[in-house]
Amino acid sequence: MGKLFNELKQDILYQHGMNACLNCGVCTAVCPAAEFNDYSPREVMNIVQSEDDELIEELLKSDKIWYCGQCFSCKTRCPRGNSVASVILALRRLAIHYGYFAESEKGRQQLIAKRVFGENMLKRGYTLLAQNISPSHFPELGENWEYYYDHMREMREWWGVPMDLENSPGSHRMIPEQDMEEVRTIYQKTGAVSLMDAVEKGMEKKLGSKAEVEKYWQTWLETGDSRNYEIK
Amino acid sequence: MKLAGKNQAWERHQKQVPSVDEPGGNLWGCFRSCFLQSAAPYTEGVAYKILKNDLGIELREAPGHTSCGAIGYHGDVNNLETQMVIAARNFSIAHYEQGVDNLFSFCVTSFANYTEVIKLWEEEPDLLEYTEKTLKETTGREFWIPHVSGGRPSVVHASDVFFANRHKLAEKAKYSLKGIKATDHVGCHYGKIFPGEAMGGAEFPQVLVGLLEAFGAEIVDYPERRHCCGMGFRQCAFPENRDYTAGSVYKKLASLKEAHPDCNLILTNCPGCTVFMDAEQGTIKEVLEEEFNVSILDYAQLTGLLLGYDPFKDCGLNAKAVPVEPLLDKIGIPYDKSKTAEERRRPF
Ligand code: SF4
Ligand code: SF4
Repeated sequence: MGKLFNELKQDILYQHGMNACLNCGVCTAVCPAAEFNDYSPREVMNIVQSEDDELIEELLKSDKIWYCGQCFSCKTRCPRGNSVASVILALRRLAIHYGYFAESEKGRQQLIAKRVFGENMLKRGYTLLAQNISPSHFPELGENWEYYYDHMREMREWWGVPMDLENSPGSHRMIPEQDMEEVRTIYQKTGAVSLMDAVEKGMEKKLGSKAEVEKYWQTWLETGDSRNYEIK
Repeated sequence: MKLAGKNQAWERHQKQVPSVDEPGGNLWGCFRSCFLQSAAPYTEGVAYKILKNDLGIELREAPGHTSCGAIGYHGDVNNLETQMVIAARNFSIAHYEQGVDNLFSFCVTSFANYTEVIKLWEEEPDLLEYTEKTLKETTGREFWIPHVSGGRPSVVHASDVFFANRHKLAEKAKYSLKGIKATDHVGCHYGKIFPGEAMGGAEFPQVLVGLLEAFGAEIVDYPERRHCCGMGFRQCAFPENRDYTAGSVYKKLASLKEAHPDCNLILTNCPGCTVFMDAEQGTIKEVLEEEFNVSILDYAQLTGLLLGYDPFKDCGLNAKAVPVEPLLDKIGIPYDKSKTAEERRRPF
């Protein structure tokens, strides 16, 4: 039993998600991510149960842990009361902590997650903002959404959910600065800020410099596909 | 036998949510959803109108409550510890600043997240202690746990409140779903993480079916009814991953079409399902040249329509990808036919 497994074992999400897996495959059978990707929740449970650090490290460096859609269909159906989805959360935190996330294409998307919605809570007190759902990155929302996006303020007034007001009846109001300070302190104290910092650092180490990290980010902003950034 | 099993499952998953005529049922604290407010804001708008105007519920919201952070938790930018303290802060504000004891959330992921932290506090005294201490240190606030359903530590979802009041809503409805085939798609984070906290559990969820039945719809079943919509947090967030979302929606709708080609209404209670099961039908049409034309409405939008609210101005049908007029015609809901579809959707 190595260091990585030991750390995984300390995680409450691992403790609550793993009651011994009988390798029945029910989770993989119901898993939407297993259907569309090279991913099997049963395999993940097998690897962590091996308690073998080498195998766990390989898993943390792979795309696999990032395919899970966090639907928890596996939790509902597992005959042993396991929750692969929770084990996945523990593995992802470990991958970020050790910088292993930056070794895989899907893992590197964590930089995008951090910058697109991770920081929103610290700035506005919401994880998602109206501006996040832009037509260029969500073309499937169609032309009606484009119109809405161009007329966001008026449309929201019209629907009775105005935005950016203090204590407005609708959503997307401004949260008072004193409350925002409380939220920032909570994010600092509970490790969320350092988790997000670890993403920036891990990417810098992998890509070689801060400038390269910005290039990766710009590529995604412009093309909506991080694979267009080529890793040297 | 089949029915007996169903009834038994229902008994096990009975959840007590007070209606407006029961103690505590006419004063609620509500937690707004960052997902709804960014991707389907009109839903909150019509839900407020129904709860306040039609059910006479007093809703109290604190200026300082924030979103729960759970999109970031499942999207891997924060920790369980963060979730616990943010939840405790929101609970504390609702109780001590707003004086409410009953709370619901508008987002199913918030609902699951609040349920998760409440269960952890019950099972792990260390985590309860950590949360109390950290809340005090970071905000100076007092810890408080809501007990909404049956007096045990719990919160509920906004659709539960609609369900609890469904008969009253059906009595007030101007239109009915008689002769309309419909089905539900219950959000994974409503029914699958803690089936015991869902109306009817994961096997026979009643929360949306109950509403549909109260409004007179004929409920249809199909093989992939419980398949996830594929929202997936980091999957729907980035265009490069959205094939997963589109694939999941395709699988569901193809299954519905095969079983019931004449069912064109799916009722939802999750912002993710509501937005993506609609939007991805556009992608599928473009890529595979296959049209499903199934209207995806959430419980508040549908209730609003049946109560006689304006389909566009109040119920926000402007921003949908699937044209809604065929469904309105089928139910018999009037709308301004002198305007073009585009004019109805673009008021400015
Ligand atoms: S369903 Fe449960 S027991 Fe079966 S393989 Fe998956 S995690 Fe293991
Ligand atoms: S939570 Fe993840 S592993 Fe579990 S069924 Fe859903 S996608 Fe698969």
